[in-house]
Formats: sequence, C-alpha cells, structure tokens
Amino acid sequence: MRWVVAALLALTLMGCAAPGLKALDGLSGVAPRIELSQTPFYPQEDYQCGPAALATVLNAAGQDTTPEALVGQVFLPARQGSLQIEMLAAVPRHGLVGTRIPPRMDGLLAELSAGNPVLVMQNLGLSWAPSWHYAVAIGYDLAKRELVLRSGPYPRMVMSFNTFERTWARSEHWAMVALPPDRLSATGTESAVVDALVAFQRLAPVADTLRGFETAYARFPDNATLAVGLANSQYAQGNLAAAEQTLRTALLRQPGQAVIANNLANVLLERGAFDEAERLAEPVATHAGPWQEAGRATLDRVRKTRQASSR
Amino acid sequence: MKFVKSMVATALVITLPLGGFIQTAQASMIGVEQMQQASRTSEGEAARARVLEALSRADVVAKLERQGVSPEQAQARVASLSDSDAQLLAQTVDTAPAGGIIGAILLVFFVLLLTDVLGFTKVFPFTRSVR
Repeated sequence: MRWVVAALLALTLMGCAAPGLKALDGLSGVAPRIELSQTPFYPQEDYQCGPAALATVLNAAGQDTTPEALVGQVFLPARQGSLQIEMLAAVPRHGLVGTRIPPRMDGLLAELSAGNPVLVMQNLGLSWAPSWHYAVAIGYDLAKRELVLRSGPYPRMVMSFNTFERTWARSEHWAMVALPPDRLSATGTESAVVDALVAFQRLAPVADTLRGFETAYARFPDNATLAVGLANSQYAQGNLAAAEQTLRTALLRQPGQAVIANNLANVLLERGAFDEAERLAEPVATHAGPWQEAGRATLDRVRKTRQASSR
Repeated sequence: MKFVKSMVATALVITLPLGGFIQTAQASMIGVEQMQQASRTSEGEAARARVLEALSRADVVAKLERQGVSPEQAQARVASLSDSDAQLLAQTVDTAPAGGIIGAILLVFFVLLLTDVLGFTKVFPFTRSVR
C-alpha cells in the first residue's frame, strides 16, 4: 500500500511541465533576472501568512504597518486564514490601490520586472486536501527557471517555475499588487484597474482618488468609468472648470454616453450654462435605462435653477 | 463575545444608512460605483441570488435579527456587492459545512461590510486596532 502511494506521489510530482508555463515561451520585454531585495520580510506566525504577506507588500510600497496590526483586518480565527476579498479590501485602507493581475506566469514576471512585488495565493497541499498559503514573489531567474519568494518563515524561498505554477494554479492563479495611486500595475487589465479604483475611492482622500483616476485614465482614455471618476474627484475638490474639461473631452470620444452627459449637465448647470445643460440632460431623462432616473433629476434641477435665477 | 457582537451590530446599523448619503451627496450626479453596478454580469447576478437565498432562510433571518441587523439591510448590502465579491461570498456559502452556513454568512458579512465600508474591525475581540 505504502509503495503505491509513493509511486503515485512520484508520478504527480514528476509530471511534465505545468501547462501554465507555456505563457513563458518567447517571453520578451522583461529582465532576464531580477530580485527586489529591498522588499521587507515578516516571518509568519501560526497560520497568519495572510497578514505577513500583506504587510510585506504594503511596506514595500512605502506604508508603515506590521502583520500584528493587520491581523484584525484580514484574519478570520475560525477559518485560520484570510479571504482573498479581505486581502484586497484591506489595501485601500492603507492609502494604496490593490489591483488583481492576470492569472498568468508571464504577467507575474512582468510585474516583478517593473519592480512590483506580487502577493500570490498558493495551495501547497492537493486540490482535494487544500493547504492555502499567501506569499510574496520578489524575483526570478529566467535561465534557471526559478522564482524567489518571501514565504512563511523563509526570507528567501527559491522555487522552480514548475512547482510554483502547480501550487499557484490551484488557487486559480490569484495574485495582486499594492501600489500608490500614481503608479499603475504593469499588467492589470482595464477592468481590474477600474475595480481597484472603485474600491479605492470609497476610502481614500479625494486628492489621492484624483491622482489614481488621472493615472489610470491616461492609460485607458476610452474608459467612461475612469473619466467620470476623474471628473467627480475634480468636482469634489470644487474645481468645476477641470471637471467640465474632463467630461467634454470624454464626451467627444464617446458621444452620447449617458453618464458623462448627465454629469457634464450638472457641472454646466453650476457654471450657469443652463441651455447646454438642458440639451445634454434631456436625452438621458427620456431614454429608458439605468440612468433615466438620474437624468430626470438633473433635468428637474436645471429647470428649477433656471426659473429661480430668472425671477 | 455577545457584547462585542451587539456592538458590531450597532455599528452596522449606524453606518449602513450613512454610506448611502456619502455616495449620493448630489442625487443627480452619477458616481463610479453606480456605473460599475450597471455593468454587472449574469454570473454575478447568480452569485448574488445564491447569497440572497441563503439570507432569506428563516433560521438565518432569526439569527441576523438577534444580532441587531435587519434582513433588509443585509439584503441591501449584498445587492451592492461587486460581481467578484459576490462570487467569493457565494462560494463561501456553498462550501461551508451545513451547521456553519449561518456563521460563515455572518462572519464574512460582518468582515466584508466593515472592511469595505469603514475600516471598523477593531470592535472584533480578536483585533488589534491599527489606528
């Protein structure tokens, strides 16, 4: 019985290269070898790899915190672990944007090459007997096909790409980076960037929110949510002229976009341009859809304000 | 523990309506959160429906009420979850052992709510506060 198990184990461990590594064929544009050795190290205690890994990436991005301070934010004692949602949700509370990165090895290496340590979730057990673990990837060597991690009690764990990819795949390749709002992740997709900023703006001061949207909008200039986020931050700061400019530019790129039109109407109203505000709000208020109610409220506001001012 | 739970519940009751006001200071201006909610997928809807279903069970409702959280508030909160968060929560609800479902919902629900609304988790007994 015992040798059967041993043989089966050997088979699983020695299987051919992990399928996820195909992404590395013909990889270009990344450094052949990198190690972000300035990344701090917090040895994990008990089961608390979540707080330790989180403290590692937060400190690497310049925020001063400790795993002990994070335990209450991301550790569920009953489960002896941290949920991915909490790990992501905790990042904005420290003034940083937490962005999920694509579930691919080449993306992971691109982030490292850009200087961003990556928080990864692994399953060090088997799919049917999971042993979940959070660690921070800090470097790699393409020639040796090895990854370097701050992991659990090990300040510098070297793992072959192959082994890492297998353990990472079992968490569905969950990984994220935590960065200041004026720095974008190297690989985050448009939707991941938007998700990250929407979570960020709930907790961040408006000046940081503005910087975050500005940076992301520069990379994805066709994204309406980012345009509206930037304009709303400018509006919240009382800079109506900047908000108007942002929304006008966005509306030129996406004529008829209801949210942009509606918000521009509000800004113009406050700047006294009643006619144009009304022209913009009217189609939003008459078109059935998720924005009709807001459009009606805007139109109503425009007409009332105009009446009040003409009296 | 009981005392702490009721404190958490009180905090929730106070903060839930507040969140709404902050978002819509100017009702006619549309925020990014609303935009994101409008772009939801059917998978996200299904996940929210699964969580809502668990939340509507009589034993769960009774337990929520004992914690001082009205089922309506809980449902409103779930309705505003993003697709990915709802899917994770639905998974937790699905994989928790039969007896632990309520516990899982409550625990995850509290943590989620607190982490993303206010950063208020220090009322939990196992927490050491950051601020």
